[in-house]
Amino acid sequence: MAYRRAAVVGLVILALALPFLFSANRFYAFILGVTYLYILWSSGMNLLSGFTGLMPLMYAGLAGIGAYTTANLVMKFDVSFWLAMPAGALAAAVVGVVLGLPSLRLRGFYFTLSGLVIQTALTMLFVYIPQFTGGDTGISQIPPPMIPLPGDKSFPLAGVWLEEALGISVTRYRVLAFFISSLFAGVGGAFYAHYMGFVSPRSFDVLTSMNIWLIVGFGGQGTILGPIVGTIILAPIPYIMQELYLYKDIVYGSLIVFTTIFLPRGVYGSILFHRRARAAANSSVQGKSEAARS
Amino acid sequence: MTLESILLNGLAVITTGLIVGAIFSLVAAGVTIMYGTIWFPNAANGQFFMLAALLMWSLVVSWGLPPFVGAVVVIVGSIPFSLVLEKFLIRPFYNVPNRNIVYFIMTLGLAQIFAGVFTGTYGRWSDQYSLPAAWPGAIMLGPFPFPRTRLLVLLIAMGLLAGLFLFLRLHRVGRALRAVFQNREAAILRGVDVRRIYRFSFVLAMLVITTGGVLFAMAYGFDLTMAWTMAIIAFAIMIVGGPGSVLGSVVIGMIFGFTQAIVSLFASPTLASFSYLIVMLIILLVKPSGLFAR
Repeated sequence: MAYRRAAVVGLVILALALPFLFSANRFYAFILGVTYLYILWSSGMNLLSGFTGLMPLMYAGLAGIGAYTTANLVMKFDVSFWLAMPAGALAAAVVGVVLGLPSLRLRGFYFTLSGLVIQTALTMLFVYIPQFTGGDTGISQIPPPMIPLPGDKSFPLAGVWLEEALGISVTRYRVLAFFISSLFAGVGGAFYAHYMGFVSPRSFDVLTSMNIWLIVGFGGQGTILGPIVGTIILAPIPYIMQELYLYKDIVYGSLIVFTTIFLPRGVYGSILFHRRARAAANSSVQGKSEAARS
Repeated sequence: MTLESILLNGLAVITTGLIVGAIFSLVAAGVTIMYGTIWFPNAANGQFFMLAALLMWSLVVSWGLPPFVGAVVVIVGSIPFSLVLEKFLIRPFYNVPNRNIVYFIMTLGLAQIFAGVFTGTYGRWSDQYSLPAAWPGAIMLGPFPFPRTRLLVLLIAMGLLAGLFLFLRLHRVGRALRAVFQNREAAILRGVDVRRIYRFSFVLAMLVITTGGVLFAMAYGFDLTMAWTMAIIAFAIMIVGGPGSVLGSVVIGMIFGFTQAIVSLFASPTLASFSYLIVMLIILLVKPSGLFAR
């Protein structure tokens, strides 16, 4: 346990230090910010899909609600970002629970399908209420949050902490998991809007939900580090290969098929599994030798 | 509104409703057969539909083949294509518990791959695709002209639906397939080779979806966004009609086709899609086995 706490503290320090290390190069600093954002999203989705086994395909839609609420409060009502962001996150969490609650009693596939339906309906809604979303063209020139330090570096910390606190009980408290997971979606959405400066319904469509799921699944569902590992490997890809932007969907789609067929536990999940398998084999060997001695 | 325009609109609703309804029913029948027997919820059905339509467009417009020859090539070509998909994507999961979720995620990935491929290839060549009339000219319904090609498409689609229905009721293999939907274990005990039925039903279902795409391309112009809309509509029809029920998919497919025709007359077709989503969500929450469940 002490080792684990040290690892968490180490990660947090690293997460805090990295933006300063990358601050010389704006491009890398930008990618780092995006990576942090996706850590937030993937950890939030992992709360549901990893720990309760429910795949929330409406996740990006909830992030969209957080993003649009925050951007509207900031740009139309001159609310400070730091007040608007919690409001946006809360809106996402409330919508997530209200829409998600009825579907909680559905079995596996039907839950996933209902998530897809809700996501598609939300995307259509974003297009059809242009007074809040700017319709298909989206909202541009969203101001960045006014702070002396760039980015959202304290939030991965919150993510790890919340998961530490809730990791055990979520299976029993699915609703709470739903609420917190949606809250993460909303916080991520708010930061996304003000970090990118531009949002459109396409930023929060079903492909985004699937990309976040891929990051979680590729890293390792149901583990705390898995989504972080997955994010570090996968989230920067589209920004690094900008000239190959057209192939992004092909790459991500192929990775989804690859992950489901060859890597169902994810990268970090497989490492953990093999380590545990080895430990179990060792202890059973020890047990046998002890039994033989007595 | 003059009497003439009311008649004209009424006629447009009836003809469009019948053709679109028949094509919806075909695609949904394919999706429901796959899900009913193999437990394979094919989220990429819209992409397969689109693939058929786009290949048809290439063969007829770019290669100059006569439309009927093109149709036969695409439809026959779907058989080896589905055998390959069955071997590499479906068969490896026959023994996985909850394989429907695995399949669902995998086909979402497939859909993303196809969407990327289509935008990277066809998307660069054109954004609206239409075929020359397979049977030029029009017949007169009273004073109103009705394109012969659409009449032909309507007749073929209706004939195929009737043929599919009779096949499932009367033919030995069709009855074995329905036995697998209804009770897998009993079917095995009665000597049905379930794996062969799985393979056969996948090929049959893909054949039906491909034919739907080909017929749609012959009757109407289309664009790439149709793929995702079609996927959602087919799922909505399957869920509302009851997974595994071909009768359900035909009845609900026709109702949705007419809804599409009527709504498109007064408002955007997106509103129709939105209404399907809401209906599907309600059925999912209230009666997930669908209206025509046995």
